[in-house]
Amino acid sequence: MPQLNPAPWFAILVFSWLIFLTVIPPKILNHTFNNEPTTMSAEKSKPQSWNWPWS
Amino acid sequence: MILSFFDQFMSPTWLGVPLIALALTLPWIMYPTPSSRWLNNRLLTLQGWFINRFTQQLLLPLNLPGHKWALIFTSLMIFLITLNLLGLLPYTFTPTTQLSLNMGLALPLWLATVIIGLRNQPTAALGHLLPEGTPTLLIPVLIIIETISLFIRPLALGVRLTANLTAGHLLIQLIATAVFVLLPLMPAVAILTATVLFLLTLLEVAVAMIQAYVFVLLLSLYLQENI
Repeated sequence: MPQLNPAPWFAILVFSWLIFLTVIPPKILNHTFNNEPTTMSAEKSKPQSWNWPWS
Repeated sequence: MILSFFDQFMSPTWLGVPLIALALTLPWIMYPTPSSRWLNNRLLTLQGWFINRFTQQLLLPLNLPGHKWALIFTSLMIFLITLNLLGLLPYTFTPTTQLSLNMGLALPLWLATVIIGLRNQPTAALGHLLPEGTPTLLIPVLIIIETISLFIRPLALGVRLTANLTAGHLLIQLIATAVFVLLPLMPAVAILTATVLFLLTLLEVAVAMIQAYVFVLLLSLYLQENI
């Protein structure tokens, strides 16, 4: 069974981890998602009073 | 040189270049890195949806410390599903049929979950070795059995992916050879076999996606036990 051939084992292992650690995470991290959904928290934030800054 | 059906899994080289390097490097061209612009095209939107929904779905059962693993799990999922699906195209090589790659991914990640469990909560981690409600007489036997099942996890993880993909590719090659051989002899049977081949290919597409998902899901479950 050619998968059991020990010759390229280490090279395949190292190379695959290299790609897995260096190439893919930056591509995934660059996907940003705006419009964060509001967390459903039980406490309602106090309504901040708003007044015209008459000046 | 006598060719056997297993030769498709030999790491291919061409003019001295190991083609597995190309098979591991080039697929990521299909995932354009998003810029800081808000305007996305269709491809970026779809990939973003997939990444977002997958991460949310996978992290549902994990507690907050487990969320540190979000990036590595999603990277692993993208890695495996891309390699699996691209391997179904003709004349491509599937790196995930190589035991070295799959064991190389499974063993360190499993070991990481075990070490995290033993460092942070050793009692709970060792407590997994004895299920609740075990009759007293069975305790020694069950601890041995559970330890064996713990150590067989990385092996199963790696070999599951390898075997599923290898078996799928092998079946496709066998049935395709059968169609080819039967065509001049019994065309009707060849057409039926070609139908079987078509259905098998659809199955292999599903298997490619499911096996990638199962790999990542099981790792997240092992993490959930230990974190």
